Amino acid sequence: MIRTSTPLRGILAACLLGGWSATTRAQDPAADFRQNCMSCHTIGGGRLTGPDLKNVDQRKDRDWLTRFIMDPRAVIDSGDPYAQELLKDARNAVMPTLPGMTRARATALLDLIGAESKLEKSQFAGVQISDRPFTPEDIERGRLMFLGRVPLARGGPSCIACHTTNGVGALGGGTLAPDLTTVFERYEGRKTLSTWLTAPATPTMQAVFRQAPLESDEILALVAYFQSTLQRSPDDVATSRLNFVLLGLGGTIVVLGLFDVIWRGRLKSVRRMLVHRNGSENTHG
Amino acid sequence: MMTIGDNLLDLFLFAVTPYIALTVFFLGTIIRYRKYGFSYSSLSSQFLENRHHFWGLIPFHYGILTVFLGHLIGFLVPRDLLWWNSHPLRLYIFEVSGLVAAMLTIVGLVSMIMRRLTDPKIRVVTSTADWILLGILTLEIVSGTFVAIFHSWGSSWFASTASPYLRSIFTLSPDITFMVAMPWLVKFHIVGAFVILAAFPFTRLVHILVVPNQYLWRKPQVVRWYGKKAFLHKAV
Repeated sequence: MIRTSTPLRGILAACLLGGWSATTRAQDPAADFRQNCMSCHTIGGGRLTGPDLKNVDQRKDRDWLTRFIMDPRAVIDSGDPYAQELLKDARNAVMPTLPGMTRARATALLDLIGAESKLEKSQFAGVQISDRPFTPEDIERGRLMFLGRVPLARGGPSCIACHTTNGVGALGGGTLAPDLTTVFERYEGRKTLSTWLTAPATPTMQAVFRQAPLESDEILALVAYFQSTLQRSPDDVATSRLNFVLLGLGGTIVVLGLFDVIWRGRLKSVRRMLVHRNGSENTHG
Repeated sequence: MMTIGDNLLDLFLFAVTPYIALTVFFLGTIIRYRKYGFSYSSLSSQFLENRHHFWGLIPFHYGILTVFLGHLIGFLVPRDLLWWNSHPLRLYIFEVSGLVAAMLTIVGLVSMIMRRLTDPKIRVVTSTADWILLGILTLEIVSGTFVAIFHSWGSSWFASTASPYLRSIFTLSPDITFMVAMPWLVKFHIVGAFVILAAFPFTRLVHILVVPNQYLWRKPQVVRWYGKKAFLHKAV
């Protein structure tokens, strides 16, 4: 019906280019590090999922580091022994290739890491979490934060949006992401789990929490809660899901019934009644 | 994990496709309005058949409008939605209401498709564009319902992932990091929305832009039989 005119094609092309350039544009290296690296690396704060990057350029040369930042998977797949070692240390978590990474951006990041390494305490040294024993109050606070009853200080979403644990509620928690009932065990206890939560490393968690990181007291409470859920076995997700679907079906039937009652006289009758009346008059006549 | 290929595909699907869709949507709707203004409607087939019509029209429209409103709330006021969802019971109320609306939409859509397939008069007035539209709407609504069931709780995670992603589209700095690790069903549903947006100007969806809202408050119109019996004889 509508033909693509030349100006339309021009605008389409401009939009395509706009889409690309917007994702690949240059940015401040400190902001870049904060958004994209900090969830797995510290500078002088010990290892998280990835290694501590303090003085990283003394461990490997610039060229190797740049190649690795630009495409970690390719360096690992090439069989490079140092990359294999990194992979083992990170328990097989492969560093993702950042969208729009360029040589210039990698160089800027390496310059930043070099400069931060020289400082006594880098702004990227990570969060320190207390190792005091957990109290029942910690567990309860962690549970309420998981459910969203106690909001997270920096405005991050509560865990229940995507995760569940045993005993969340009638329909369970979210199923977008893994069940966290036994996460304490899977992450090998308090220290690793706490460190992980300071800067969550999975792509979605990273995207959501990079601008709204958890505070150290929140991490403590959540870890306390996850330790407490360990004593229970995970809920049966299939049952919660079935209940949800059944509630939906029940509601649908009720609403369809309501529609039938509300509109019985309005939509169905006017014309048909007239036709019917006229028809019956006809047969009499 | 991720490879370069995946990355490029995600970049295309979530940073390029939305702009293509928006461009086609705006240019298409404007050009169609200027050139074929009188085609701006959804031709009614109620006159040809109005028994099954009700079970398509009513559940579909109430369902889809409710579902759309839910998405709009998540997009416009994500913080308030998260606040509402901060008690599991309230979260369940929101989610079950959404699921009911989605199921009503499916009931309506299935009735509409069956009606257009089985009634010969309706079949004649159904264009190819109508069939294509019914197809993509079905894919979109069924995928959305499956997301709600298998990747819960969408109302909460939408507010903290899809919402900032969609905002980044409108501020012309698309941030696809929220999307790259989403399950394929979620990706399919989002890309489906862009496809519908692009298809908008070429289908009867344009009626959304010219909804006769005054129907809600105008005075009722009385339908009267014209003449004595003559009309019926001729009509039949």
